[in-house]
Amino acid sequence: MPSIPPEGTAAARCRIEIEALRKSFRSAAHQGGGEVVAVDDASFRIDDGEFVALLGPSGCGKSTILNMVATLIAPNGGAIRVDGVPVVPGRPIRHIGYVFQKDTLFPWRTVEDNIGYALELAGVPAAERRLKVERAIHQAGLDGFGRFYPSSLSGGMRQRVSLMRTLISEPEILLMDEPFGALDTHTKLDMHSVLLELWENTRQTVLFVTHDLGEALTLADRIILMSARPGRVKQDFKVDFARPRNAVTLRETREYAELFSKIWHSLGEEFAKGHSE
Amino acid sequence: MRRLSTLAWQIAIGLAALAVWEWGWDLHATVPWLVPELLDPYFVSKPSMIFSHFLRMSCLVSSDDQWTWDMAGGFAKCMARSENNLWIATWVTLQNTLWGFATGVSSGFALGLLLGRSDRLSEIFYPYITAFNSIPRIALAPIIILAFGIGDASKIVTAWLVVVFLVFFNTFEGARSVDRDHINASRLLGASEWQVTRTVIVPSTMAWLFASLSPAISFSLIGVIVGEFIGAEHGIGRMIIEAGARGEAAGMMVAVFVLAIVGVILSSIVRRIQAYLLRWRPAQATGAT
Repeated sequence: MPSIPPEGTAAARCRIEIEALRKSFRSAAHQGGGEVVAVDDASFRIDDGEFVALLGPSGCGKSTILNMVATLIAPNGGAIRVDGVPVVPGRPIRHIGYVFQKDTLFPWRTVEDNIGYALELAGVPAAERRLKVERAIHQAGLDGFGRFYPSSLSGGMRQRVSLMRTLISEPEILLMDEPFGALDTHTKLDMHSVLLELWENTRQTVLFVTHDLGEALTLADRIILMSARPGRVKQDFKVDFARPRNAVTLRETREYAELFSKIWHSLGEEFAKGHSE
Repeated sequence: MRRLSTLAWQIAIGLAALAVWEWGWDLHATVPWLVPELLDPYFVSKPSMIFSHFLRMSCLVSSDDQWTWDMAGGFAKCMARSENNLWIATWVTLQNTLWGFATGVSSGFALGLLLGRSDRLSEIFYPYITAFNSIPRIALAPIIILAFGIGDASKIVTAWLVVVFLVFFNTFEGARSVDRDHINASRLLGASEWQVTRTVIVPSTMAWLFASLSPAISFSLIGVIVGEFIGAEHGIGRMIIEAGARGEAAGMMVAVFVLAIVGVILSSIVRRIQAYLLRWRPAQATGAT
């Protein structure tokens, strides 16, 4: 166990460390069957309690990085260390939670059984489980929907259930892969408020993948901007808006507008590169 | 309103068919070109004759057309007279159908799950399964009767054989198409390999199994009846063969009607169970089988 530095020191504990990470795929035969480099020489670190957004145009390899941290896919080179320990592909780390972009709720389980799933796996007694699930349902604003099946919920509600399904086992590190990417603008703002409120109380370490600059600015402490393919870390921005934040009114402030236009310019260059390819 | 008019049409068509069946042949003598030979009561009997046959075969009336419940012990005496009366025959056929269904569904599910989740096993068994599947299962019934005798066992085996493949293929398909993301989600939420199987692979494969239940019960009934045709002491299939041998169209028709009723009841029960088990599916998909 690495020692935890005392509160207030400059050197916070490093939770995720990524070093010279590389991932390439073999492209389809009709495209020549050659190598496509998705991620090339990506390095960054995330400290304890930081909310980091990984921002970049689509196809820049940001989800690939996330999936490598989650041990879902294996890198071709470089290293990933979580709490100083190298990750092993295919061996998920216990205290890491993952929220998918796609709806991966189990359709045959009710809302409460989906949320309580991880506790059930861990063998938590039913009574304790019920209590925690009830609290989670309340926190997500899903009161009264516990007995519903996912098929009868809206997209936004389903994503709330997904979020709570991951958060219920209180992971110290949260990986999120464009979790609100499929939602409409209004529902998305709603989800930002839900996530901000939950996170500002618990302060897990978060790595949040998105291509939406507004979303990154609303939620994160830091934005890591990726270049177009092959994905490299282009720039690292500090987002020091005061917390607690309001997902709606934050967007009206001057510092939001200033930082937005600063990053927007840099992001625009990458979008352009992505198109010219 | 639409439902009412549909119902009215359905009743009208049913009554018209019964009327043609009952009185159509009477017209044959006067206008022979209008009435096909097939309506000859010798072949298809008549609704009124079928009904009186039904009363006698089910021991509701005695052989001299007296209601058996008016006579002390009349029903029991009538029942004892015939080894394969309508009640016993129905009971035997029903029992064997349910056994064939239960054994076929459970073994088909287990096999489908095993082969569906193991590329190695499915690779090895692939040629045997396709070869076996191309044999019309019913063709094996005489061999089964030969091997298992004319008792209940041979009927259950025949029904099993018909059901097991149907369920196997459905389960196999289901086990192969388990959503990769559900498995990943389960693993990332802390599931062990065994927990992934129990909480993701089995339940999502179950959905495919349930969809095969209603054809499975009909297939099982077919298997039992064919088995009874070939060799049996009891059962509705046996009853049809016996009545046929005596040239008794009415007796065959009674058996066929009882079969229809049994079939309808069984499949509506299975459909209900299926709808309950698949209640988590979106509404429009629940009704489809």
